[in-house]
Amino acid sequence: MASLFGIDEKKLLHRRRAAETRFRLCAIAALFLAGAFLVFFLFDIGRKGYPAFQQAELLVTVNYTAESHDNPYAAMDADTVQIVSRSFTRLIPSMLAENSRLIGTSQQLWVLASADTDQYMKGRPNRLRPKHQALVDTMRQEGKARLAFNWGFFEAGDSKLPELAGIRAATIGSLYVLLITLAISFPVGVMCAVYLEEFAPDNRLTQVIEVNINNLAAIPSILYGLLGLAIFINFMGVARSSAMVGGLTLSLMTLPAIIISTRAAIRSIPPSIREAALALGATPLQVVWHHVLPLSLPGILTGTIIGLARAMGETAPLLIVGMMAYIPEAPENFSSAATVLPAQIFTWASDSQRAFSERTAAGILVLLVLLLGMNATAIWLRNKYERKW
Amino acid sequence: MTMGSALQMALMAILPLSVLAYMAARRRAGADNARGTEFHSPLVYYGWYSFLWVALPSMGLFVLAGLLHLLRIATVPGPVLAGGGVALAAFGLVWSQRAIGRDFRAIHQVEGVVRWALIGASCISILITIGIVVSVVVEAMQFFRMVNLWDFLTGTKWSPETAFLISTGRADGSVATPEFGSLPLFAGTFYITVVAMLVAVPMGLFAAVYMAEYASQRVRRIAKPALEILAGIPTVVYGFFAAITVSPFIVHLAELVGLEAEYTNALAPGLVMGVMIIPLVSSLSDDVINAVPQAMREGSYALGATTSETIRKVVLPAALPGVVSAVLLAVSRAVGETMIVVMAAGLMPNLTWNPLKSMTTVTVSIVDSLTGDQAFDSPQTLSAFGLGFVLLVLTLVLNVVSLVVIRKFREQYE
Amino acid sequence: MKSIKKVALAAALVLSLAGVAEARDQIRIVGSSTVYPFSSAVAEEFGATNKQFKSPVVESTGSGGGHKLFYAGVGPDTPDVTNSSRRMKVEELETNAKNGVTDVTEAKIGFDGIVIAQNIGNADMDLSLKDLALAVLEEVPVDGKLAPNPYKTWKQLNPALPDRKIVIYGPPATSGTRDAFIEMVVEKFTGKDETFKAVLGKDAASYKKIRQDGPYVPAGENDNLIVQKLTKDTEAVGIFGYSFLAENKDRIKGCTVGGNAPTFDAISSGKYPISRALYFYVKDAHIGKIPGLKEYVDLFMSEKMIGDAGYLKTIGLIPLPAAEREKVRKDVTSLKKLTAEDLK
Repeated sequence: MASLFGIDEKKLLHRRRAAETRFRLCAIAALFLAGAFLVFFLFDIGRKGYPAFQQAELLVTVNYTAESHDNPYAAMDADTVQIVSRSFTRLIPSMLAENSRLIGTSQQLWVLASADTDQYMKGRPNRLRPKHQALVDTMRQEGKARLAFNWGFFEAGDSKLPELAGIRAATIGSLYVLLITLAISFPVGVMCAVYLEEFAPDNRLTQVIEVNINNLAAIPSILYGLLGLAIFINFMGVARSSAMVGGLTLSLMTLPAIIISTRAAIRSIPPSIREAALALGATPLQVVWHHVLPLSLPGILTGTIIGLARAMGETAPLLIVGMMAYIPEAPENFSSAATVLPAQIFTWASDSQRAFSERTAAGILVLLVLLLGMNATAIWLRNKYERKW
Repeated sequence: MTMGSALQMALMAILPLSVLAYMAARRRAGADNARGTEFHSPLVYYGWYSFLWVALPSMGLFVLAGLLHLLRIATVPGPVLAGGGVALAAFGLVWSQRAIGRDFRAIHQVEGVVRWALIGASCISILITIGIVVSVVVEAMQFFRMVNLWDFLTGTKWSPETAFLISTGRADGSVATPEFGSLPLFAGTFYITVVAMLVAVPMGLFAAVYMAEYASQRVRRIAKPALEILAGIPTVVYGFFAAITVSPFIVHLAELVGLEAEYTNALAPGLVMGVMIIPLVSSLSDDVINAVPQAMREGSYALGATTSETIRKVVLPAALPGVVSAVLLAVSRAVGETMIVVMAAGLMPNLTWNPLKSMTTVTVSIVDSLTGDQAFDSPQTLSAFGLGFVLLVLTLVLNVVSLVVIRKFREQYE
Repeated sequence: MKSIKKVALAAALVLSLAGVAEARDQIRIVGSSTVYPFSSAVAEEFGATNKQFKSPVVESTGSGGGHKLFYAGVGPDTPDVTNSSRRMKVEELETNAKNGVTDVTEAKIGFDGIVIAQNIGNADMDLSLKDLALAVLEEVPVDGKLAPNPYKTWKQLNPALPDRKIVIYGPPATSGTRDAFIEMVVEKFTGKDETFKAVLGKDAASYKKIRQDGPYVPAGENDNLIVQKLTKDTEAVGIFGYSFLAENKDRIKGCTVGGNAPTFDAISSGKYPISRALYFYVKDAHIGKIPGLKEYVDLFMSEKMIGDAGYLKTIGLIPLPAAEREKVRKDVTSLKKLTAEDLK
């Protein structure tokens, strides 16, 4: 083929096509790598965490003797009592105190095994002595030792005994904190967004507010923790470690996110809707309340849910306001001490006992399920109700 | 009387009363309307008018009393407060009921109040900023009175440990003088940020380009949620993963090629942080790439360009300000990230180019200073606020630059 | 009907906030991260076996932070108990008195050994206090003068030790463990060494500078991660509390110090030289006001918890010798007031 500027067109075309293919491959590779990481990550956490969903239990004979009222360790065979969880043995005195007719009787019960027994039965490193290991093996053969589903993980609160530790207290704490966050940041955020979009005159104050909100959205979360410590705890005297102070701090953090997404949702409503309502005699506020807000509600809810999901996963600011403590019971009201799921995970990750590492991963799995559920709901909302104007 | 119990009392007394006022007013207006009177505003507004007149004055009184108590100017005794609240509420009830009439423009009154409420809500954001500034700046200023600002910003030795001992009076004898040169900390932060950006920017940008230009609907339907899942994973989980899985992996890899890596190397948190930021870069770039009008692409295709050439030579340059702004926001996020580095990075400041060595960052030092063993007023704790202050300024500057870039260089099409 | 529902809703909403009560009925404990595992174990035991009381809340703020919160005053918004890995200082007691906390009871609960741990596969290493000090000091005696620490391998500072790079993962400066380590190892050496004494005179015994050139790596509060590092990094040693060694005996082992292995008996008898006492402090004024506080304190001091066959021993606390234990128990359960003389 004769070429016009001394260029070999065929070769050039070939090179360009090759460049196109390379580029396209790079792009696919990027997406693929991200996906591969996600899969690997979930798989790794799952692998580490799934053993925690099983908990070893033993069928033991308990003799409620009079002696066991003072020394519960006497209630069982000397070797058996070593492999049973302390959480059961320590309750024997109070059981006998409540029901004195138990004295002199004996029962066969399924009880929680100790953490070491549990780890041994799962084939992981443990501190069980050889004779205890042999005992467990024997009991297993006799059908007196089993790995049952760990309901306790979902029913119990935190505990220093890994076999008893559960996430219930942390989950309820997270719920309380989220409720407060929602109650404060949703109304204030929507009101602010409505003002900025519908009513704000184009003056200095408005510009300052807008720049402000954008800046707040970019501030590292730990600085909100410092704010919470200085103002809510020291100045206003809100109880340290309470759900209230955690909720207040997180609501400040979520506010910019809700404002920004609400503004985007409101902005997407075409002016014709507003003009039609005004033409029919509505006041500006009636237009907003009866037309704009209902139409933009899906977008607002999506943004809110995503903001709340981010708040639920936050740890750094809560560390500073004291929510990283040993709090075994679920909070009763907004001012009793509470902990949240991410803080619980962080605490368990630092515990020296081996059995906690699988519980940390299991806690992460639960947290991920909750968060992904929230995000999925938000996305579903967006897909179902979003209207293209 | 604490804030809590005061608020509780106020709500318990005033709220039901206000609701009753609403009901009474609404019913009266309704009855009159049924008899044929035509009211100016929709009837509910008369109800709301009464509600507001009962609730607001007394709540205002309680809030005022609360503020006075907080600022320790005065403490109003309980009975006085309760009596005042009830009196105001009763007054409001009578006043608003008397006002109900057919020519009374209730809707405007109510909407006026609502507008003020909207303005108030907007001003809360300013209050928050003031709050953050106050809580960080005040303590930071105290710190900079103890430590020279210039030395702080340019010094290369960060060893605040003995400040703790000096402040608790246990430094009797020779103790190393605490030094607060924050350069190694910022170097650590930037190093890890750069590693994160090296991962996040190419992958995020390519992913966005693919989804915007190449991908079929099916791929987009899987890819977008997948990226959002990545964005939804909490940072503490990323930190755990970085410390427990990625770090040992890197050490192992390094051994295979004969290099020596420390366990708290800078590569592990950097890589994981990069992955965490990919969704941010990707979604922001996606928005700007989609904003480039189709006409420009079509023009390029008409001239015979391949898709990649169009992207490289037409779309990306057009979207460049947006992409730059997205990258700056991502940098700001990486700089301020705390949990991943707390769990996976080291505690020793280290000025080095080797990514396999341990180094620490600004955010780790902040957490370390505040959750350790020392007294609250020691220079070490205050150093947390000093660092926090510089961090705040840094992220604000990055944010403002990002906005300016978008505003100045954004092309307006059509 | 609709309006009645509205009123009912409003009332219900308000009543749900009724929990914003003033009087606290939950014990609040703050303080040392070293005592935290023991305190929270007792707190849980207390909560599980005394259903009429709420479980105490235990926060790990560090000993210094705990004392600061403690001496803020009396009242429901201040903590009831503070745990401490060091004794309260006289100044802190005075600040307590100044702020209204006039009656404080001190409770010594046991010992914590500080171990020098390494990978279990390594050859045993016996270190003397001098070896340890030379490994971590910022300046060491070289030819009669103090010079920056030149030692990079153990063999360099003591030919009897293996030729291993010095890599020490130790507590950060903010940790009470580090204070204890400095007091019992570093200062013991500098106070006796001729060169130090010649250069610093009587200040030699309070020399506290730890090297910052690399071999000593402050490794944060998460001792779990240190243990992980030791299992992979066979050159390094780690400095942390005894409970972590006990829990991970299958992965790490302790170095002997001066020929003494870190065992219960050695630490309890004092033969193992690096150990310190652990305490907690109670505000007597809160006893009776906060439900269950006295019972918690009594439980903590009981044989069941801190005795030789006690629960806390199984999680790493080294019990006090029996006679001392008895005396402390008597003092604490009778709420003996702490005085400045006791602290001197």
